[in-house]
Amino acid sequence: MNESWAFSGDLARGWLWVGLALAVASVVLLAVELFVRRTTEKPSLTVGATGLLAVVLLMLAVLRPVRVFERASTVGARLVVLADASRSIDLPADGNERRRAVANRALGALRQRFSGVRVRQFGFGRGEPLPFDGKDVPSQPLLGSDLSAALEGLAQGTDELPQAVVVVSDGRLDRPQAVALEAALHTALGRLDVPVHTVSLARAEPRDAAIRAVRLAGSVVAHQAARLEVEVGCSGGLSCGEVAVTAKELHLDEPPVVHASGVVRVADGLGTAALELTLDRAGRRILEVSLASPEGDAIPENNRRFVTVDVARDRVRLLHVAGRPSYDVRSLRTWLKSDASVDVVAFFILRTRTDDVVALQEELALIPFPVDELFTKHLQSFDAVVLQDFDAEPYGLSIHLRRLAAYVRQGGGLIMVGGPNAFVSGNYAQTPLADVLPVSLRGITSEQAVDPASFVPAFTRAGHRAPVLEPMSTIVGERWPEVQGTNVVGDAREGATVLLEHPSRRTPSGAPMPVLALGEYGSGRTIALTTDGSHLLQFSPFASESGGRAHGAFWDAMLGWLMRDPRFEPASVMLPQGCIAGTPTTLTLRARFAEDGAEADVDIQRLGSGEQVKHVRVAFPRGDAPAPVDVGVLEAGGYSATVRLSGSGRTAPSRHDFACEAGGEEWADPRPDPARLAAIAKATGGVAVTADDVASLPLPRATRVVAERRIEAWVPPWVWTALAAFAMGAHWLARRRSGLA
Amino acid sequence: MARRRHRLTRRELGAAALAFVCGVSERASAFGEEGAFNPRLLITGTRELERRRRSAPGRWALEVVRRTSAPARLSPSTVRADAPELFAEPFAVWAGAKAPEPLTQREVTGLRRFLALGGILFVDDLEPSDGSFVKGAKEQIARVLPDGSPIAIGEDNVVFRSFYLLRKATGRVQKESKLEAIVRGGMAQVLFSSNDLLGALARDPGGVHPFEPSPGGEAQREQAIRLAVNLAMFVLCSNYKDDQVHAPFLMRRRGSEAP
Repeated sequence: MNESWAFSGDLARGWLWVGLALAVASVVLLAVELFVRRTTEKPSLTVGATGLLAVVLLMLAVLRPVRVFERASTVGARLVVLADASRSIDLPADGNERRRAVANRALGALRQRFSGVRVRQFGFGRGEPLPFDGKDVPSQPLLGSDLSAALEGLAQGTDELPQAVVVVSDGRLDRPQAVALEAALHTALGRLDVPVHTVSLARAEPRDAAIRAVRLAGSVVAHQAARLEVEVGCSGGLSCGEVAVTAKELHLDEPPVVHASGVVRVADGLGTAALELTLDRAGRRILEVSLASPEGDAIPENNRRFVTVDVARDRVRLLHVAGRPSYDVRSLRTWLKSDASVDVVAFFILRTRTDDVVALQEELALIPFPVDELFTKHLQSFDAVVLQDFDAEPYGLSIHLRRLAAYVRQGGGLIMVGGPNAFVSGNYAQTPLADVLPVSLRGITSEQAVDPASFVPAFTRAGHRAPVLEPMSTIVGERWPEVQGTNVVGDAREGATVLLEHPSRRTPSGAPMPVLALGEYGSGRTIALTTDGSHLLQFSPFASESGGRAHGAFWDAMLGWLMRDPRFEPASVMLPQGCIAGTPTTLTLRARFAEDGAEADVDIQRLGSGEQVKHVRVAFPRGDAPAPVDVGVLEAGGYSATVRLSGSGRTAPSRHDFACEAGGEEWADPRPDPARLAAIAKATGGVAVTADDVASLPLPRATRVVAERRIEAWVPPWVWTALAAFAMGAHWLARRRSGLA
Repeated sequence: MARRRHRLTRRELGAAALAFVCGVSERASAFGEEGAFNPRLLITGTRELERRRRSAPGRWALEVVRRTSAPARLSPSTVRADAPELFAEPFAVWAGAKAPEPLTQREVTGLRRFLALGGILFVDDLEPSDGSFVKGAKEQIARVLPDGSPIAIGEDNVVFRSFYLLRKATGRVQKESKLEAIVRGGMAQVLFSSNDLLGALARDPGGVHPFEPSPGGEAQREQAIRLAVNLAMFVLCSNYKDDQVHAPFLMRRRGSEAP
C-alpha cells in the first residue's frame, strides 16, 4: 500500500488558487506594512512571525491536507492489431508464401513481442473492424480494405482507447489514399492520438497481367451506345505488349453474347482500351470482361472480371401489334401514348385479305405490315412486345415465333392479350412461343379455343397479395368488371403465377382456368391476359365510378412488372457482403406483404448454363426483419437468385442477378504497397517494419491501475480552524503591543 | 402499277353486305361484341331520329365490317344522354334536323362524364340547309364543355387518313368540306358534321337509298361512306395514323394523288 498526501478533494481547483492568492497577498501586505514602518520604528519580528503563521494556518484550515493510501498495480498497455482481412491477402507474397501465411506469422510474432501488453485483434475490410480471437486472420475474407474506416471505428468506439495501433497489411488499401494521406489519417484517427505502426506482408510485385479496372462512362441506357474503359496492368516484369480484351453479357440459359472486343497496348505496365457496347435490356445485367492471358501470368484469376451494370431505361420501347382495331385496342393504345415514359411503335391490322375496301391502294392510308423487318432487324430494340388479339398465321408472324421466344429468353418482355385471334385461336399452340407463355395451350382444339360466355374474373389468393394488382385495387377494390368471352387456356406453367382466374371454367387438371397469369422465361417475363375486356376498366359503367383510372393503373403495373420495376416486386434481394468465389455467400431477403409464417423458395441458377446450383427454403422472421439466405460456396461467374414467396398463394417470382468474383477489386492490382504503409507509420509517429522484423516495434508504456484508495485526514478539520484562530489572535496581540492597529 | 377503279353497284353492295353479315356475325359471336364499333344514336329530350335515317347506323357498322378488319355491331343501339348505358361504350352519334331541345342538367352531367372518360361524340346535322341543329348542338355542348370551342379540321387531321386518304368531308350534301371538332388533349373529342352523313348512309331493307347525295350522286355517297369508315377507325385506333412510322408512306401517297 503506497502512502501520499493531498489537499481535501472537496474544494474546486479554482477556489484553491483564489485562496492561495489571498494568502500570498496578505503576507505581501504585512511585509509592506512592516517595511514602511522601519523608518520610524524597529520592525517587530513577533508581528511578522505571527502574521505569517496565521496565514499559513488559515490556509491549512481551508485546504485541510489529507493522507492518501493506495493499492495500485502496473498493467501492460492496450494495443490494437488491425489485420487486413480482405481478399488481397490471399495473393502471393515474396517467395512461395501467400500473404495470409505471412500475416498469420506476423500475428504470432506480435503476440510474442507484446506478451506483456493487452492486445486486441481486429480484422478490417469495409466498414467497422471485426474482432477475432484466433491466432490467424479469419478465413472468410471481407469486402474491401478500408483502413480509414477501421481507424474511425476504433476512435469512435466505446472501448478503452489503445496506446498504439499495429496494422498488418500488404498496403493495397482502399483508404487512406496515397494522396493527402496525412490529412486523411488525422481525420480518421480523431481523438485517437496514438502511433500507428505498420507490418508489411509483401514487397515483391508478382508477375501478373490483370484487368485493373472496368469503368463505364456515365450511366448506361438501354439501346444507347455506352463507353466501357478497360484498364490492363502488367507487373513483376511480365511482358504484355498487346492484350486482347472482350466484353460479354451473360444470360440465364443462353451462351454469353459478345458485345465488344479490342486490344490494349500496355506501356510502362499500364494500358487502356475503350470499348463501345450497346445493351438492349434494361435492368441489372452481368458483363464478363476478360483478357487473353500472356504467358507466365502468375494470377490467372484476375484476367476476368464480372461487372454488374444497372442499365437504365430512357423510355420503355414497346412494340404494340394488334390483329384488329377494337375498343380494347383503343384503350390500351390511348394509355400507352399518354405515358411519356413509353415509346410505343404500333402496328394494327386494319384490313384483312378478305376485306373489300372498294378503293385503289393509293386511296388508302394503309401500309404493309413489316412483319419480317420488325421481328428480325428491330426486335432487339424493343423492351417488350404486346400481341393483342393477333393471329400469327395470316400475317407471317409464325415463322418468327422461334426468334420471338429467343428474344424473351434473352430478357425481352411479352404480353399476349386475348381476343378471337389470340392464344390457340391465334395459332400459337404447338409453336415455340407456346412454351414462353405462362399458361399451357396443350390439348385445346380450335373448336374449344374460345368460351363466349360472360363472366367476372376472380382474384386468386396470389392476386390478393400481388403488388402488381395493388394500384388497381386501391382504385376499384379487388373487383374486375364482367367481360364477354375468354380464350381457353390450360394450366399455369411451372413457376407462373395466376392473379385472376375464371370463376367456373376448369383446366384439364381441374384447376380454375387462368385469366391473368405472369411468368418468367429465361431472362424475360411474360404476361397472359385471356380476355379482351381490360378496356372496361377505362370505359364502362364500372369504370365511370372511378373516372376510368383503374385501366391506367392496371397497365402501368403490368408494364412495370414486365420491366422489373422494384415497386411491383414481391421480394427484394441484397448481397450485403458481396459474393466472393470459394467462400460462403449470404443473401438478404426482404418481402413485401409477407404474412406471418411466410416462406420463400430461393433458386440460385448459374448464368449461361441455367444450371440450378442451390435451392433454399427460408422462413421470414416476424416483423419487417429480413431473412438471411445461406447459398453456400459459389464459383466465379454470374448468378441469378429467383425468389418465390409462398404461404397463402404463390406470388410472381422476383429475380436478382449478381456476380461472384474470384478476386474482384482486391485482386485487380496484386502489387503490394509497402510505401503507403511506411507513409502511414511516419504520419502518425509509428514505425514501419516487415513481418520478419516485428520484434523491433516499440513497446507502449504500461498503464498504472489503482485497485484500492483510502483517504484519511491528518488532523480533524476543527483543529486547523482552532489553530488558525489562535494564531490570528496572537497576531492581533503582537500588533497591539507594537503599536499597530 | 395502275389499276382500274372499281365502282360497286347497289346490287353488288347488297350482295357483299350479306356475305359479310354471315361471316362477321360468326366471328363476333365467338367472343361477344363488347369491343366492337357501335355507332349508337344519342337520344336527348323527346326527339328521336326520323324514320328514314334509322338504318344509317346499321349501314355504317356494316361498311366498317365489310371494308376493314374491325368488328362492329350490325344492329347499333340507341342510348339516352342521361342513362348509365352512355358509359358502356366510348362512341355516340347525336343527329338532328332542327335545333335540339336544351339539355337537362342530368343530360349535361351524363355527357360531361362521358367525355371525361374519353368518349367521342359525333354530331351530324341532318338538315344542313337550315343548320340550326349544329348551331344548337354547339350551344348545348358549350354547357357540357365550357372551355372547349370547335375548330375546323381538314385533311391534315388524322380523321382524314385513319383508313382512307380523304381530302374533304362530305355527306348527303356538300355544305362544308371540313369537319369541326372540339379538341382536348390533342384529340378531337366532339366532331361536328354539317353535311348529313347519316343521310348518305341510310338505306332501307330493300337496298334502296332514301336520299340521293347532292351534287355528286353515288360518287359522293362513296366518299361519305369512306368518311364514316374513317370516323370509325379513328374511334377504334385514336391517332394511330399519326404515328411517325406511317408518315413517309402517307406523305408519298398524298404526293402522288391527283390534285
